[in-house]
Amino acid sequence: MEKVIRIRKLTKDIPKEVRVLCDAMLEELERGNRPVLEAIKCSLDNSFYNPKVGFLTPGDKRVRTELNVSSVQKMARVVFMLEILLANLSSGAVNTKRELYYISKGKVKKDPKLKALDFGDQDESDAIIDFVGDMLEVYREELNCFANDRGGQTYSRQLVVTETLPDGTKAVVDLSTLGTTPFQPKNKPQALALKAKKKIDFCLVVESEGTAGTLVANGMTKRHNCIVMGAQGVPSNGVRGWCKLIQEQLKVPMFFFGDLDAYTLQNIYRTLKAGSAASLIRNADFSAPEVHFLGVLPEDVKKWDLDCYKVNERDPAEARSLKKAKDTLSNDPFFQDKKNRKLAEVLEWLIKNKLRCEQQSFFAVDPRDPLKTEKIILEKIQKGSYI
Amino acid sequence: MAKTAKSITSSSTAEYFAKNLQQVGFSSPLKAVLTTLKEAVDNSLDACEEHGILPELKVVVRKIGAGASKTSDLVEIIVEDNGPGLDAEDLPKVFGEYLASSKFGRGQCTRGQQGIGISAATTWAQLTNASGVRVTSKTKTMRKAVQAVIDVDIKQNKGLMKAKETIDWDRPHGTRVEFRIDGRVQLNGDGGLLTYLEGTTLVNPHLTIEYTLLEAEPVRIERVSDTVPEIPSATLPHPHTMKLGEFITHAGLYGKVEFGKFLRSGFSRVTDETLKALVKNGMPKALLPLPTNKLTEEQFKTAFQVISKTEMQSPSTRSVLTVGEESLAKSILRLGDVDFFSVVTRKPRICDFKPVVVEVALARFLNRGSEDESIQLLRFANRVPLQFDKSACAITAAVESVNWRSYGLAQSKDSLPSGPYVFAISIVSPFIKFKNASKETIDASDELVEEIRRALMQAGQKLSRHIRRENKEADLERKISHIEQFGPILVEGLVRIVGAKESRKLKAEEGLKKLLGRDTKEAQKDLSEAELRLNALKEKQAKAGLLFSARRHEEVSTEEVGDADADVDSAGLDDDAAELSMARGTDKRATGKLVEVKPGTAKDAGAKGTGKVASPEKRGTEKRTTDKTARK
Repeated sequence: MEKVIRIRKLTKDIPKEVRVLCDAMLEELERGNRPVLEAIKCSLDNSFYNPKVGFLTPGDKRVRTELNVSSVQKMARVVFMLEILLANLSSGAVNTKRELYYISKGKVKKDPKLKALDFGDQDESDAIIDFVGDMLEVYREELNCFANDRGGQTYSRQLVVTETLPDGTKAVVDLSTLGTTPFQPKNKPQALALKAKKKIDFCLVVESEGTAGTLVANGMTKRHNCIVMGAQGVPSNGVRGWCKLIQEQLKVPMFFFGDLDAYTLQNIYRTLKAGSAASLIRNADFSAPEVHFLGVLPEDVKKWDLDCYKVNERDPAEARSLKKAKDTLSNDPFFQDKKNRKLAEVLEWLIKNKLRCEQQSFFAVDPRDPLKTEKIILEKIQKGSYI
Repeated sequence: MAKTAKSITSSSTAEYFAKNLQQVGFSSPLKAVLTTLKEAVDNSLDACEEHGILPELKVVVRKIGAGASKTSDLVEIIVEDNGPGLDAEDLPKVFGEYLASSKFGRGQCTRGQQGIGISAATTWAQLTNASGVRVTSKTKTMRKAVQAVIDVDIKQNKGLMKAKETIDWDRPHGTRVEFRIDGRVQLNGDGGLLTYLEGTTLVNPHLTIEYTLLEAEPVRIERVSDTVPEIPSATLPHPHTMKLGEFITHAGLYGKVEFGKFLRSGFSRVTDETLKALVKNGMPKALLPLPTNKLTEEQFKTAFQVISKTEMQSPSTRSVLTVGEESLAKSILRLGDVDFFSVVTRKPRICDFKPVVVEVALARFLNRGSEDESIQLLRFANRVPLQFDKSACAITAAVESVNWRSYGLAQSKDSLPSGPYVFAISIVSPFIKFKNASKETIDASDELVEEIRRALMQAGQKLSRHIRRENKEADLERKISHIEQFGPILVEGLVRIVGAKESRKLKAEEGLKKLLGRDTKEAQKDLSEAELRLNALKEKQAKAGLLFSARRHEEVSTEEVGDADADVDSAGLDDDAAELSMARGTDKRATGKLVEVKPGTAKDAGAKGTGKVASPEKRGTEKRTTDKTARK
């Protein structure tokens, strides 16, 4: 079994902590007391944002789960999952969340006594795994549990990635030799070192992986010394860690290009830049605080007469996006911070004008010129039209 | 300018309707069958009630061949009643002449109003099958029955009697109509024949009906009330029901009579005290002794304005007819195995210048619907089921406007609630404002929607008492099962991880039992409290003197509405409406055992097409178990 690469140096002995925790629970039960499980409250109302730190950090609030008839199911499931994870940690085995879901299902099928623990769907087992991580204040990856790879498809003619494999051997990937194939970071810890063959001018993270692919197919990475990356929606841990790595090792300006709506601003851009409320304990290693919001910006809508459309308030889905914008302004510490005032103004503009605009609207500015989107992006970077 | 003006011709009423049958419910083969049946049944019920006869109807609907068009069948619809019967000379008028009605404009709560429906059915039969309606009728003075085919003379708007003969008929009196029309038969669903017959059964507790639909066995449903509803005679108009123009026209009938006297004798609810109140509110005193025909339009307007803003007693309840809570409560049991229900009859109110009474019956059934489906909504106007264009109806708007979640029902925003419930809502008024001539939808005015909404909220409060008790019961069951299921797994998991000895395991299991036992006791206490509240309510109802047993159920009772412990939005509810509720004998106790099992009902049989006559005797032999706890 090969050694698992770690994201950070952890002083905690997870198996020992788990045994101490379980022993304490058992002792409480023996005394006829109610055992309590505690975890950091991972929600916006327990999130703090300090621009000097650069990412969302947790407050003092904790979630307490005390044993009673309502919580006995959750506690039994937590202990059941801890047992599986402990076995993995001691053997060095790693699994994805989905694999853990099926492993637990298999155990339940084999032992009828465990039938009550059966997870109805993967969301249920994922929630228990996340709770275990929050409770032990360790990363999911430190529990030898990794999510499936998603997003982060990266194109560049200048970037060279050197990966140190668990056995010590090194793999060198020159992205310029991959043709039309992108380099994709894993959603698990990797020992990567980055080098630029020539000076890289900027890194562009595009919300839609398809749009990133189109820009590259049109020759953007040929004409410019840059990195183009597709985020594929809400960035996964892998994408967030990859962006942080590029930012730290290459020190190139990084820009995010996505839709003009509240979902993109909060769930995608803010998560990339400052992490999320759900991953409060992981944000330090999974955020790229220097990334700028390139657009689509309200000024672009006006300047390029972009095809945007009115939010239909009668449509519940569209009306939700307006509500989201209002909620974001009222409860998200990232947007409430004065350093991000300009981003908050974008949300205010969305609420006032009840509009939304897709990133792909740039393609329609001049349909006869397939390079128009690239030109606009470059113009925006050059003229500083970003937040 | 045109050289020759086109000549202007006039058409008969029959011609108009023959060309516009879609306006009166004959817009498709499917609706044609339902409307024909509906018109025939309405006529029978109205005739019986007018003559104080307890109605006994036989209905047959069957396919007898192919229709004239590709998509239709030749359908025979027979409705036979024990009504007063008709003299031979009246048959063409009733069945073949439009607007020939004994009820037109009388301001009574009869089902039929204008004399259009049954003539339209004859016209449809004539247009699609080249023959009108075959009628057999006998009054109690006739020795033999008269039988004839009635057609509509469309040009003249006259009924034509053909093939008239006298025959022996074993009934003392009654009428039988046989239509053969092009149509299609739908049994279930909103526009289904069964839905119509069930609805009619529900709001006519005094009706005994036997119906045979298509190939199914006949289904017989006995009456649960031996009282023929007395159709109230029309009363004098209420001043608040009129518009200014109507007011002046009405005054014209009283000529030289003093204006004050006209107000007292020309309207209901106007007394000497009312006149004093009118003067106090600004009506010139000098107007009262003036002869009515000497008043100027301006003076009429002044008087009318004062009348409009002066509070008066509600219109007479005598002009509106209600099914009544007790009868409605009994009648609802005829639709199937009821789990529990709640009934509310509001006092008459003025909505849109007309007296209106709203009645509501909400029932949960054991054998129909499911938690995921929308409730079944039965709408009635003057005791006639409304089956089409549900979304535009005042009743639907009112149901959707209530927050049913606060009463324990599932509901998406601005939608009908869901669950195995039937919501029956009846509007009775001498003048119901329909959206169209086919009387499918009640116009949704704000006042009417609010009145229906209040009735629904009162009924919802009652229903919630039952649902809350059930939720507590389910909660207790869930907690008990959780303890049994998860407790040992939790302890064993901890023991394995820690590597603890058996002695620690046993001790922890004991501790766990103690802990969770405490929680169960709490849940049991909650359930007992919910039950106590429900039982206290039942006792209160019993004291009100309206406790009676239902054939297959435990108890039915009434109570004053407005309980302080109802945690629902009761703002604005009146405390003057009485309501009925009933709990079924079936009961899940803390053990989770189901005590009673009930057999299927006539509805099930009919719905499945395997209906059997369910006699009262047979039903009486059904196994029943009493809910002992509920009686404590």
